[in-house]
Amino acid sequence: MHIFSKKIFEIFLFGSILLWCIGILWEVIVQQFPQLLIALPFLKYNYSIVCHAEPEKLFHFENYKTLVCSRCTGIYFGSLVSAFFILLGKYKNVSTKVLILSSVPMFLDVLLHSLGFYTYSHNLSLLTGLLLGSLGFIYIHDALIKILLEMKRN
Amino acid sequence: MKKYLPVLVTGFAAGVLHIVPIVKGLTCCLVVPVAAYFAIVLYQKSNNNFEQIELKKGATLGLLTGLVAAIFGSFFDIAITLITKNNDILNSFNQLTETIDMFPFPQETKDEVLNLIQAVATSIRETGFSLLYSASIFVNNMIVNPIFGLIGGLVGAKIINSKNSKLD
Repeated sequence: MHIFSKKIFEIFLFGSILLWCIGILWEVIVQQFPQLLIALPFLKYNYSIVCHAEPEKLFHFENYKTLVCSRCTGIYFGSLVSAFFILLGKYKNVSTKVLILSSVPMFLDVLLHSLGFYTYSHNLSLLTGLLLGSLGFIYIHDALIKILLEMKRN
Repeated sequence: MKKYLPVLVTGFAAGVLHIVPIVKGLTCCLVVPVAAYFAIVLYQKSNNNFEQIELKKGATLGLLTGLVAAIFGSFFDIAITLITKNNDILNSFNQLTETIDMFPFPQETKDEVLNLIQAVATSIRETGFSLLYSASIFVNNMIVNPIFGLIGGLVGAKIINSKNSKLD
């Protein structure tokens, strides 16, 4: 595949994830642009499709909350960080084994918290989400590039 | 038709699970990607072909599963709202009002948003239907579910292929 079209695709991916992450921080962004408040109810519904968004599990910035839980915030911002490093060309491909291993801390956190071993920790959820999100995005990026390459060949 | 049966079955299941409150809360964003994975597994079984699956095929199956889940999920959500005259919007109405009230903006700006939510809530309470709510559900589902389906299809295809390569 031509390097140029690969780069455009990666810019598109980064832009899409950036927009998605901006949406997560809508309550904070609205502070600067009050006219955007009208979109808040729609965005809340949009993110409720992909996250339970239980009020006590949302990440707080002063009085304002993210629209998804701390774990999902970690996953999406982890993807954003990876998309940025991919744009710079500074990344290594991730194997299926590494992807599965990276999901273990998150699932352990879900399991142990659900079984009552400890109370919900925003930071732990965010960190385990970041790990899976960042490595998961590299894994998906690799698959997408392979498909584009295949389509280009045909 | 046989070709699309796995997508229809798993997409339908994901659409149903989308509106079950407890399942929705527990599985978050995993419903559609997992449905996409099962669409690939069913596709391989129906074709009796357990060799490596092309990533493009996995992505297509995932995307279609997401689309089917979006259509059924939206339909069930709208239909249940119509029958029960109740839904998540009404349940979270007070919380949303508190959130909007918290912003240090002129009352006029806040009223504009509150009136909009109030109109939707009133319409659902009285008739069980709100055009704005229904359109919003449909558009959101049609954007989000296919993307998550695509991700599920890609990851599913890669996992199945890596399993197969270990067996070879």
